[in-house]
Amino acid sequence: MLLTLCGRMQAQNDSDADVDLSLKPVPVLTGSTAYFTRVTGGQVQDAPSVSPLLLVPVGDRWLLEAKGAYSDTFAKNAQGDYAGTTSYGMAYAQIDYITKYATFTGGRFIAPFNVYGERLAPNWIRALQPSPLSVPITSGAALGGMVRGGLPFGTDKLHFNYAAYFSTNNTNHIVATDRSTGGRIGFFLPGPRLEFGASFQQVLQLDRPYAAGVHFIWQPNTVPLTVRSEYTRSSGTRGSGYWIESAYRLSQIPHLGGAELVGRGQQFFAAANLAPAVAAKLGALGRDTNQGDFGLNYYFRSDVRASASYGRQFALGKNANLWTIGMTYRFVMPMWPTGGGL
Amino acid sequence: MKFRVILCTTFLLGFVVLAAASGKTSDSKDESKPVTTIETAQHARDLRLEGEKRYHANCSRCHAAPPKFPPRMMGTIVRHMRVRAMLTDEDMHLILRYMTQ
Repeated sequence: MLLTLCGRMQAQNDSDADVDLSLKPVPVLTGSTAYFTRVTGGQVQDAPSVSPLLLVPVGDRWLLEAKGAYSDTFAKNAQGDYAGTTSYGMAYAQIDYITKYATFTGGRFIAPFNVYGERLAPNWIRALQPSPLSVPITSGAALGGMVRGGLPFGTDKLHFNYAAYFSTNNTNHIVATDRSTGGRIGFFLPGPRLEFGASFQQVLQLDRPYAAGVHFIWQPNTVPLTVRSEYTRSSGTRGSGYWIESAYRLSQIPHLGGAELVGRGQQFFAAANLAPAVAAKLGALGRDTNQGDFGLNYYFRSDVRASASYGRQFALGKNANLWTIGMTYRFVMPMWPTGGGL
Repeated sequence: MKFRVILCTTFLLGFVVLAAASGKTSDSKDESKPVTTIETAQHARDLRLEGEKRYHANCSRCHAAPPKFPPRMMGTIVRHMRVRAMLTDEDMHLILRYMTQ
């Protein structure tokens, strides 16, 4: 009788779990705030920022996602006074229709090229605050349509993912995009925790450059290490480059479990035979650059992190030290009663 | 009259036999239920363990492991990650199950 009663209670729990899974999801406001002090070649900048992300699920298959970004950058002007420069923008505002093997997306979204822009760029995620030099080579944003998805590749030990998109040209300064098309394919091996893939992008305006890239992420099961890398090559004036980054979590050391050591090396190669005027217009993309960065992150909690890094940039006539120190906070809050729970 | 007595007796006996058979069926169901339930509980545990494994394999590729939130929030967050990180349908359901229990 006791066994039967226990069994019935367990069955009730199981059915409750199923009910939990079928509960209607609520709109969520998430995102991050950050405050960073940067010293770039002796120039000090203070930059508070906020990047809110609103998620609104509709029915069983729809999701609205809208992410904005706002920051003030304070630096000394020519008169020696601190002055702020405000910048804001819309990272993405998209609607997704999710099916088992494909998600259809419309609106403004991050172009699926390598993985940094889509997955590693938020400042509460990135291991080092300075962006890799190769990130601006491609068009980062798109306005149009995309199809993407992930599925087991015949076996559960290998997952395949893909994305293909088309973007129209838009000149509004907040949501500017290029007319372009492209996509990415990737594989993920959950066992060895290895991910790799390749991307392609064709710009369909001006000098119509194309770009190709490869990426990989590896997290060995035996040590708390993450190794990431990307390589991007462009046919146009934006050159090519690669970066490789490793992050080691000191989780096995008492009292230092929240600390993470990070290192990154990268090289950027400017396009050959650039006219001086074009090179000047391209700024950092107009000259060969080598850079090494070292950083220390400390996770007070999974959502509060302190970060500090030092980098040395080697560019012809532009060698510089890059210092960064600051904090990030990732927030998550419901926009509708959740009915309790965990 | 005699025929009626035989008919009533037969009817009563039939009823008793049917009732007994019905009870036996019910008992046999009760006997099989714990076995089925134990199997279901074991299956649920396996799913949770698999969900935990997929959670660690997928989420930590990009960021520090997040805490669990109320189920209705987790539904939204996992749906977002389904799109962003291109989780498979199975991964999404297993991770959602793990993160809501």
